[in-house]
Parts: sequence; C-alpha cells; structure tokens
Amino acid sequence: MLLEFELNGKQTRVEAEPTLRALDLLRDVLGLTGTKEGCGRGECGACTILLDGMPVNSCLLYAAKLQGRRVTTIEGLTAEDGTEDGAEDGTEDGAEDGTEDGAADGGGDHACQGDCPPLHPLQEAFLAEGAVQCGFCTPGMILSAKSLLDRNPDPDVGEIEEALSGNLCRCTGYGKIIKAVQRAAGDGIKAAREPGPGSGAGKSGRRQRGATR
Amino acid sequence: MQYLRARNLKQALLQAAEAAGERVKFLAGGTDLTVQIAEGALDPTLLIDISAAEELRRLERGAEGLRIGAALTIAELLESARAAAGKPAESASIPRCLLQGAAAIGSPQIRHLGTIGGNVCNASPCGDTLAPLIVLAASFTLRSPRGSRVVPAEEFFLGPKATVLEPGEILESILIPVSHLSGRSAFRMIGKRNGQVISQVNIAVWLKRGRSEGAGTISTPIEDIRIAAGSVAPIPLRLKRAEELLRSVIPDPPLLQAAAGAVQEEIQPISDVRTSQAYRRSVIASLFTDVIGEVLEREGR
Repeated sequence: MLLEFELNGKQTRVEAEPTLRALDLLRDVLGLTGTKEGCGRGECGACTILLDGMPVNSCLLYAAKLQGRRVTTIEGLTAEDGTEDGAEDGTEDGAEDGTEDGAADGGGDHACQGDCPPLHPLQEAFLAEGAVQCGFCTPGMILSAKSLLDRNPDPDVGEIEEALSGNLCRCTGYGKIIKAVQRAAGDGIKAAREPGPGSGAGKSGRRQRGATR
Repeated sequence: MQYLRARNLKQALLQAAEAAGERVKFLAGGTDLTVQIAEGALDPTLLIDISAAEELRRLERGAEGLRIGAALTIAELLESARAAAGKPAESASIPRCLLQGAAAIGSPQIRHLGTIGGNVCNASPCGDTLAPLIVLAASFTLRSPRGSRVVPAEEFFLGPKATVLEPGEILESILIPVSHLSGRSAFRMIGKRNGQVISQVNIAVWLKRGRSEGAGTISTPIEDIRIAAGSVAPIPLRLKRAEELLRSVIPDPPLLQAAAGAVQEEIQPISDVRTSQAYRRSVIASLFTDVIGEVLEREGR
C-alpha cells in the first residue's frame, strides 16, 4: 500500500506491505537505522519512536498504522529542534556544553562539533552526563524523554522515571540517564521559562550530584 | 496476511462478513496481537484494523453510567481522568480501581498503543483492567452483523485467551453502571518490578457503605462489595466467599483477616513462567489486605 505520513518534519510517501513492522520500514526501507531493535516484542523500548508526539514501540506497530500520522525518530531531533529552535536551544547550549563543559566532563566532546547541525539539548545532556554507554537504548531513551519534556518541561524525578519506564538500559543503571533528562530540562527548556537554577547553577550543582551518585 | 482499515464499526463488520474463508482478526492497538502473530501463536489471513473507528473511541457519561469505547487507548483513558481532575463532578467518573489497573499496564509506549477493548478481548487471565471491570459490574456490548448483545464482564471470559466473542463479532463498548460509579474501589498488582511488567497477581475491590454518609461512615456496615482477582485462575475470578463474609457487616481486623483467608482458599492459581502457585496463594492475602485497606481508609476520611 502507499503510505503517506510526516517523517521527521517531511512529508513522506513510500510503498510498503501494510503489515511490515514500522521498525523495519524505518530501518530497512527508509534507511533510518537510529531506531534499534532489541526484544522485538514491546518490552525493551529500544525501538521507541514518537507517533504524534507520543512514544510507541515501532516493533509492535504495523506500517499501515503510520498512515497520515506524524512520526519522529532519533534522526529527526536535530532537524526539528536544532535547526528551527537552534538559535535558542541547540546552538547556545551546544556551544557551552561542547566547549567548556565538554572538556571538563569529557562527555560533551562529540565527534560532530564541526560541520554537523547542533544537537538537541537532550542529546547534549546525555553526552555531558555520561548517560550513553553502549548506546543501544539511547535513541529510544531520548525520544521517551523528549516526549515527556515536550509535555512537561519541568518534571520531577518520579515523572522522569515513569516516562522512561518502558526503556530498558543494561549499562548505566539509569542514574546518569535521569540526570541527563534533568539537565536537559534545566538547561534547554526550564532556563527559557524561568532563568535562575538553569545553566549557571546547574553546572556546579550537576558535578556535586555526580559525586554523590 | 491481508490488512484492511475500517473507517467505522459498520464497515468493520461488513469487511469481516464478506471475508468468507479467511481467518479474521480485528486489530486495535496491536500490542498483544502483533506479538502473538510474530510468534506463530495466531495465524490470521486478514486483519481488520478498527483502531480508527470513531464510534469505538467515545467516552461518555450518560444516565445509564459510564460508557467506554473499546478502541480508546489506555493512555487516553488515563489522560481523560487527569484532564477531568480539576473538575470535581467529572473526576469521579472513572472509578479509581480502573485507573489504577490501566496505569499498571505495560509501559508508556504500550499504553499509547494498547486499548481497553484489546486488554479485554486478549483475555489474558492477568489483564490489569479485567478484575476492575468485574468488580465495577461492567457489561460489554458486542456487535455483529446479526445485531448487538450485552454480556456481563463476569460471563465474558471462558479461559486464557478465550471469550464468548463469536467469529466476526466486535466488542463495541464497555458500560460501568451508575450503581457502581458510586462507592469506592481500588486495585493492586504485584510483579517483579514496578514498570513494564506483567502481573503475577492482581486484585480489585469495590464496595459501597450503607446509607449514612460522612461522620458515621466508620461504623456503617458495608452494603455491597465485589472482589475479583487476576492471574489466579484460567479467567479473572470473582471471589464471592470473601464478599459474603464482608457484606452487611461493619469491617474489623478479625473479619478482614477471615476474608483474606477466604480469598486465599477461593483462588485456583497455577505455577507458570511468572511465579509459583504457592507464591500467588501467599501474596494475595497481603494484596487483599492492602487494597481493602485503601478503600476503607479513603472512605473513612
């Protein structure tokens, strides 16, 4: 069947078997391999994508169900927030975290500093906090976190844990992932809403939190 | 495997009726169905996607009670309760045990896809909305080309993954009657972790006190009570012996203890991949004490 849907901000038309998994459509047909397959049965969250802004398991979703919907994959984050909102989120934050912070933490020093478009604040925060180890859960983790922050820019730890409860990580123990989401909320979104405990206080505070956990 | 999308209920029924010789399954969120198909447990030749049929996606409070469309997602159900939280009259419209059961399902990802009708029709003995719907005296409206019929939740389930649904018949909506929208309810489940887990045991309690409201509630007898548990038998099980012990009495600790014992005796658990028979029989006493404690405590306030 001919599928038409919005993929990472762009109208997409693609011919596909209706019962092909959305996961396979994205990875094998459209070449977007940022979405990962873990368990293939809706238990691990590695294949999480956003459907109309809400996290869903793309391994449980037939391609036909994407018809007319808005789909966001990890590849869509830079374009969506880095380019359009880049001036206020990605660029400023990226520069700050990428240089002074990144050097200090050894985390924000990602390979794309030069030519790549700026990363989404969540991606920056995951790098800066060391919330990425093997990286397999990371795309899904970040998308679940993005869906949360888009709806709730100032979540408490319980709300972050709840939002990430469908994403398993076997490396980090979750602590740094939760801190990364807090950091993104503080730096990227909360700072724009209420300046104060945002980036400035966040930096020293973050290192203290890092020391205790 | 063919796939059809139904724009409405009538079209879905028609598509199924016209599919002579096909093995038809109705597809809603797909969180259970796609896994069963992928693993070969189900082998349909035609899927009819009913998730977009508008008449299956309504949530209405009417004179007869609360009607929940079968294709409403678990997340939409929870969100509607959250949205109504500011409005006192509406906030009570989705009973607490059903919200607690819905919130216990899967993960955010699963809850955004999965539907309440899917949880019901999948008919897993551990489905977390099933015990709540039974204690709320819910009834299911089933539609087929021959017409519609209403089946009480308690009589809908025949065994693991087996229901009274005939081929080509669709669960249209769930009605929680007005009588059970009042009163208090709560739900508990236990699993190996809190998030993204299937219940090892779950239990729901609904009860209504006698006439006097307010200050006298503590010493007012329980007028009516319903208790049901999941993952303790081939179907979600109503626990009538424990109900009998608590109906028309003023609950006190010895009575509640006796009721917990009755619950333990009445269930028929097995050992399976998730846990043992002995554990299920043991832990349900604690879950029952906990859940009825919540109902009585909240009521006493």
